[in-house]
Amino acid sequence: MTEFKPLDYDTLQVGEEFVSDTQLITPEDVETYAFAVEDEHPWFSGDSPFGGPIAHPTMLGNQALRLRHSRYIVRAGLHARMEFQFLEPIRHGVRTRSRGRVIDKYERRGKPYMVTEFVTEDEHGTVLVRGQFTQMLFRDIPKEQP
Amino acid sequence: MSTSTAAAIEIGQELPSLVRQPTQRRIDAYSTVRAHSIHSDETWAQAKGFRTCLAQGMMSTAYVSDMMTRLLGSGFVKGGTMSIAFVKPVYAGDRLTVRGAVKDKRQEDGRTRVIVEVSCTNQHGQQTAIGTASGLLP
Repeated sequence: MTEFKPLDYDTLQVGEEFVSDTQLITPEDVETYAFAVEDEHPWFSGDSPFGGPIAHPTMLGNQALRLRHSRYIVRAGLHARMEFQFLEPIRHGVRTRSRGRVIDKYERRGKPYMVTEFVTEDEHGTVLVRGQFTQMLFRDIPKEQP
Repeated sequence: MSTSTAAAIEIGQELPSLVRQPTQRRIDAYSTVRAHSIHSDETWAQAKGFRTCLAQGMMSTAYVSDMMTRLLGSGFVKGGTMSIAFVKPVYAGDRLTVRGAVKDKRQEDGRTRVIVEVSCTNQHGQQTAIGTASGLLP
């Protein structure tokens, strides 16, 4: 059983690892994502050059971004930077899982940041997406930060 | 949907811009509705110093992905990259213009990688996201 703790910059360790739950890529989820981001490219609901429908390349970004929620209570965070490498298409019907590791933490202008690298794979171990992201942790939130 | 060829893409070329409007309903669909979320709980967002709910920065990566897939098709879906900094908040109801300009073309394992400078700008003319994206010509 996971014991969740509030995320705290001082106790967060570089090298900490996270694993997401699996996510089945369903046509309905892809359709919802298409609505959310106003991108209804025909490959996302019909045939594509990869054989059958695929999901948006960025669709699993939130699976990675929420990795820290697998262990911590995170009331809010500000996303500062995102890097992606799209290695294979995300086909409908695959089950995906993301794994991540904290590779850095630092303070800049009094604000704490954490950097996480991640990889997202399907159930066969095929790497679909890899990348890293930087998140600012909430202490005092300035009004003009994303 | 047709995509580009090496000869058709020139350094400095501006891509057709996209306009996107992350309404609260779209943000809810993207982020899911949760208590104590700056994306879906306006009271909580205001308590944290924001005038209303924020769109996730990640939504802007999806807009850039859209633009790059229009340009490169399968060469972005498989072989694409993106590096984006989120520099200003995007609020529910903002109107974003997504822009791209070809910065470079490089040979990579016998194919051509196209590097594009990208940005999102809100209705007040403020850049909210900046960075680069790339993909392989089919």
